[in-house]
Amino acid sequence: MAEKFHTELKTVKKDTVTMALLGRSMLRDAVDALIRQDKELAASVVAKKEQIHEMEVKLEEHCYQLIALNQPMAKDMRVIACTLKMITASMRIGRYGKVIANIVKDISDKPHISHMMSIPHMGELVIDMIDDAIKAYDTDSIGLIADFSARDDTIDALRHSIFREGITHMMEDPKTITRCTHYIMVARYLERCADHACKIAENVHYMNTGERIEIH
Amino acid sequence: MSAVPILSTNNLNLWYHEKHALQSVSMKIPKNKVTALIGPSGCGKSTLLRCFNRLNDLIDHVKITGEITLDDQDIHAPGTDVVTLRKKIGMVFQKPNPFPKSIWENVAYGPKVHGIKDKGELDRIVEESLRHAALWDEVKDRLNDSALGLSGGQQQRLCIARTLAVEPEVILMDEPCSALDPIATAKIENLIEMLKEDYTVIIVTHNMQQAARVSDYTGFMYLGKLIECGKTVQIFEHPTEELTENYITGRFG
Repeated sequence: MAEKFHTELKTVKKDTVTMALLGRSMLRDAVDALIRQDKELAASVVAKKEQIHEMEVKLEEHCYQLIALNQPMAKDMRVIACTLKMITASMRIGRYGKVIANIVKDISDKPHISHMMSIPHMGELVIDMIDDAIKAYDTDSIGLIADFSARDDTIDALRHSIFREGITHMMEDPKTITRCTHYIMVARYLERCADHACKIAENVHYMNTGERIEIH
Repeated sequence: MSAVPILSTNNLNLWYHEKHALQSVSMKIPKNKVTALIGPSGCGKSTLLRCFNRLNDLIDHVKITGEITLDDQDIHAPGTDVVTLRKKIGMVFQKPNPFPKSIWENVAYGPKVHGIKDKGELDRIVEESLRHAALWDEVKDRLNDSALGLSGGQQQRLCIARTLAVEPEVILMDEPCSALDPIATAKIENLIEMLKEDYTVIIVTHNMQQAARVSDYTGFMYLGKLIECGKTVQIFEHPTEELTENYITGRFG
């Protein structure tokens, strides 16, 4: 019975990685669509929301079944606890991708202001953090998340910088208000995605060591 | 373990003939707590349990070294009265084993052996013990009926009442629910939770979920050694030893 349970647990973990990669690709494509003002790509991101939602429901259900039928303990319990958090974080990341994609159609008629400030760079860093968090979960490599606190500080600083720069543009020229407000919101969404990557990292650490850490 | 210990073993070793069944076991059993001993078959958990009230003395070719103390007194010290020790440390076995006597006689038997003759006093002890064992309401109108007519779960609670009647300090339970159905098991588990207010309970169980549900502390044994002992929450959430981890996640055993 234990063997069957561990096989199922591996399957759930594999499926969770698939879902996490879908959430990640929704965010990646949304940021690319925003940079390139590609409405078609943005529409394809929005179209994935049902798919990721279905995966969320199915995977959560599978986790609850594993708990109900096997009463997992120790690392098995921690894997399921981490997986449930991972599912939620992946869903949120995907949903932020969808929200950013929805912005694309509103700001694609005019050229970007100041090359969208630091948003492309910030997007790269956030995607890197999500990639490392997923890989750490998949391969139990907690070394990949060791510097997340410092990386999150960088993301926070970039969001603040985009906020200030956006305000400056808006004060100089009120015609930029719509676009700059969207930029500030996108920076905020990216910062939240980095926070979700940190949450995943905290849970991966717990999954592997049994110790709780907090990444600020 | 930070709680006050009532029972302790220090470098305890036991041999059955050549078989080294307990190897340097040192542990402290906290007072008024439930301690569970878990581990695969043959790991020595029942042997350890039986050391606490010197039941192994009854087996030939058993050699014991090391120390066991109850309230800081060595239970192997010369002059220790084993009957008194077993009064202080009662035991409940895997299979309910009531005497082929009435329910009343089963519970009153121990106090009688220890010299209580007064019928009124014995009635009081029988009622109190049966109430403590959560059996009184089910049997109060048929105390003179044979104990063998009770269900398995009731028989096991009767055995617990019989143990309580001599006012022990510690109750040893060796797989007390393994012969019972889930409802009777739940009643015994609820009872264990109540008993720890007045007694210290040590339970041996194969059922890890049961150990996790009922105990405050858990000791994991493997091949005669105590591998890890600590708070139940810690053992089942993040054990320190890999062997413990592998056992409780079903990778062996």
